[in-house]
Parts: sequence; structure tokens; C-alpha cells
Amino acid sequence: MPVEISASGEVADRLASVGALRRLADRVEDAAVEEAMRSGWGWPQVAEALGVTRQAVYKKHAKRLIAAGVALRRRAG
Amino acid sequence: MSSFDHYLNRILVAAGSEARAEGSTVIEAHHLLLAIARDGSPVLASAGLDHAAVRGALDREFERSLAAAGVRVDGGLPLATPLAEGSPQLGATAKAVLERGFAAARRKRDCRPGHVLLGVLLTPVGTVPRALELAAADRDGLAEDVRREIAGGGDDR
Repeated sequence: MPVEISASGEVADRLASVGALRRLADRVEDAAVEEAMRSGWGWPQVAEALGVTRQAVYKKHAKRLIAAGVALRRRAG
Repeated sequence: MSSFDHYLNRILVAAGSEARAEGSTVIEAHHLLLAIARDGSPVLASAGLDHAAVRGALDREFERSLAAAGVRVDGGLPLATPLAEGSPQLGATAKAVLERGFAAARRKRDCRPGHVLLGVLLTPVGTVPRALELAAADRDGLAEDVRREIAGGGDDR
């Protein structure tokens, strides 16, 4: 029997919440990493605080932060 | 390039800007909708859906979807410097939009600007239909209007 699929309703709301939470997490991460790097944190600390590898956090944020003129620390303090 | 190719390219570039402004590295269906609204669409305009109205509806949809998980954001989203350059890739929902839109044209060379909007309006689930519903927009009615616009040839930009 075909099921009526609606863009709204409880299941649709819960599925949509997953996408919204991912977007929210990305936005919070972008802002928090930028704030940390602006205040002198190094990549290793930011990576450990996020629970990801240094390579992952560098790959995701370095280009954006360099373009934004953030002075990035070369070494972990 | 045909005039449709020029139009599609313009919309994709604008959708990329919308994505970057949101801090997104991929273009999704709602970025295409924002780009079309910004570019100016008679069908969207007739339903009161200019860029600001679409943006507002998308923001409400975001809040509502977060609320479904018990999350509320007070004082707006944190601001981060967006990616300055680079072209965001097409995400799954944007690809689906283009596939649906192009499928509505008989042949590739019959594609008109309206087909991109039609693909957006035919998106059955997810952010776009939810936002349009919150904007009290009649998705099926709008799709019908776009089909008429395409058939009437009043869409030869």
C-alpha cells in the first residue's frame, strides 16, 4: 500500500531536524574555530578540543581563516 | 552557449554565493531557490516570494526543524567569516532539482529558465517544501504557473 509522504508531520520534522542540527553544528564550529585561532590557540589544541585530527581541522578551516586574515600559529604552544 | 546555458550558469554562480554566505561548502536546493528569487522570477514574485521572503521562510524552517529536536537558538547564529572564494559543489538536493527540472523538458535544447524553478518546486520533501509551506505558498499551483509560463514562451530570457 502506498504511503502518503508529507514534507511536514512528525517523522518529516525529525528527519529535517537532523539536517538542521548538522548545519547548526557546522556554523558553531566555523565561528568557534575562528575565535580560538584569533585568540592564539594552535591547530593541535583546536583539533583535540573538537575531538578530530589536526589534519581534519586544518583541511576544513585553514583556507577560510587565511583568507580572513587570521594570524595562524605555526607551532603548538 | 545558449541563453539557457547563460541563465543556468548565472543561477549556479548566485546559488554558490548564497551557499558561501551560509558557510556551506555545497549548493543545496534552497540555495537555488534563493538565487532564482534574487534573479527575479515572475511566478515567485506573483506569490510574494522575493528574496527576503524566501530567506525568512528558510530561517523559520530552520528554527522549526531545530525545535523538533528540542533545540532553540537564542540571539541568532554565531558569525564566522565565510569562505572568500572557490565554487561550492552541487549537493544532492541541488542535483535532484536539476534532474527533475530537465526531465520536464522534452529535449535538452527545450530547457528554459523556468525548468530550474520547476525542479525546485517539484522537490517533494526536505527544506524547500517545508519552507514554502511556512510561507503559505501553494507549491503545486506555482509549479502549474511555471509550466504555463514555459509553454507560453514568455520565459525566453
